[in-house]
Amino acid sequence: MNYLTEERQNALSSEYVLGSLHGPARVRFQRLLMQHNSMRHTLWRWESRLNELGTALPNVQPAPEVWERIQARLGFTTVPPVTSTNVLSLPQRKPRGLQWLAGLSAAAAILMAVLLVNLQPVEPLLPGQIAVVQSEKAQALWLIELREDQLLVTATDKFKALDNQDYELWMVAADGRPPISLGLLPKQGKLSLPRSVLFDQVQVAALAVSLEPLGGSPTGQPTTVLYTAELVAM
Amino acid sequence: MDPNHDFLHLLSATAQGDRLAFADLYRQTAGKLYAISLQMLRRRDLAEEAVQEAFVRIWHNAGDYQQDKGTVLTWMISIVRYRALDMLRATKSRRETGDEGLEEALDEQSPEQELYEQRDRVRIDRCMDRLDEGQRQAIEMAYFRGLTHMEVCDQMDTPLGTIKTWIRRGLERLKRCLES
Repeated sequence: MNYLTEERQNALSSEYVLGSLHGPARVRFQRLLMQHNSMRHTLWRWESRLNELGTALPNVQPAPEVWERIQARLGFTTVPPVTSTNVLSLPQRKPRGLQWLAGLSAAAAILMAVLLVNLQPVEPLLPGQIAVVQSEKAQALWLIELREDQLLVTATDKFKALDNQDYELWMVAADGRPPISLGLLPKQGKLSLPRSVLFDQVQVAALAVSLEPLGGSPTGQPTTVLYTAELVAM
Repeated sequence: MDPNHDFLHLLSATAQGDRLAFADLYRQTAGKLYAISLQMLRRRDLAEEAVQEAFVRIWHNAGDYQQDKGTVLTWMISIVRYRALDMLRATKSRRETGDEGLEEALDEQSPEQELYEQRDRVRIDRCMDRLDEGQRQAIEMAYFRGLTHMEVCDQMDTPLGTIKTWIRRGLERLKRCLES
């Protein structure tokens, strides 16, 4: 049932877009948005109307680092893994401790690389993968283990949760489909989440963590993406 | 050519995972989104963060766009403005709880302070012009600077009740004018 008059829907939506709706009224409005399709449409019309004001502002170019950080956040700029078919190919990302190699002749460098590659112990491929969700300050917040039958998530003591918010985990598939919710993350301790069958069906570009109202995303899509992390084979 | 047609093409390619299209969309729209967040947040670092987060969301949510949500550009502006409003609320609540560190970096002398006063005229301005002066100013302060009723009240030195009425009536008149 739609108990709100059109006039009331317009009043709430327009002030929500403007940003002048706040406190409990704003929270109630967000809840109404989840419940009423007509409210969402009214909101979209106001977003479309009022944001025309913003289109008229003169452009100001942000620093180039902004685009670099966006690409890094989305996992576009990670170095692809070195293929193992050719042992002579030098690793693209040199370990920090080997930078002195650059000073040697190319022949010696290649020889060293061959030796180093050959010295690596051959590890059996484990079925599991892990991801570490890090804060902007590179503190580990959650450890996520993708196991055969579950996703095991551990919140670290570095993680300080907001009481009135939840943190939701998402799978970002490489094929560009919308993110898929994997469940709410624990605010402390360990939690086992069901393993989505999609892990076996699509290529996973990254995992993402979003900040959500209590109970998780109202829209089925991440509200505010806070962090992304890559899954790596153990 | 209609820029929305161009943006629509880039956004739909972005929804398919096309990184080049996304880069092109960024190149063509980041200046606008940054201007909007700079106007609201008044700090380059915070404004950059808002733009960065907005584009991460645009990449993930490109497939959710539909024409009912406005033009591609107004949809993208919504995303960055909601993010900037959240950041403003967080900054303000931290300021109220006594974290003074945030005040220092606010640069009140920054040249972009009143960007909105030099903006181009767009269709909606025809209707903004028909509002009473107080209604128009209050709506512009709330929209461009993300000010709350109380802050608009301080800025305009007008009672809170009057500001609330100006904004509410102004928005109602704006709607009638835009629909006529």
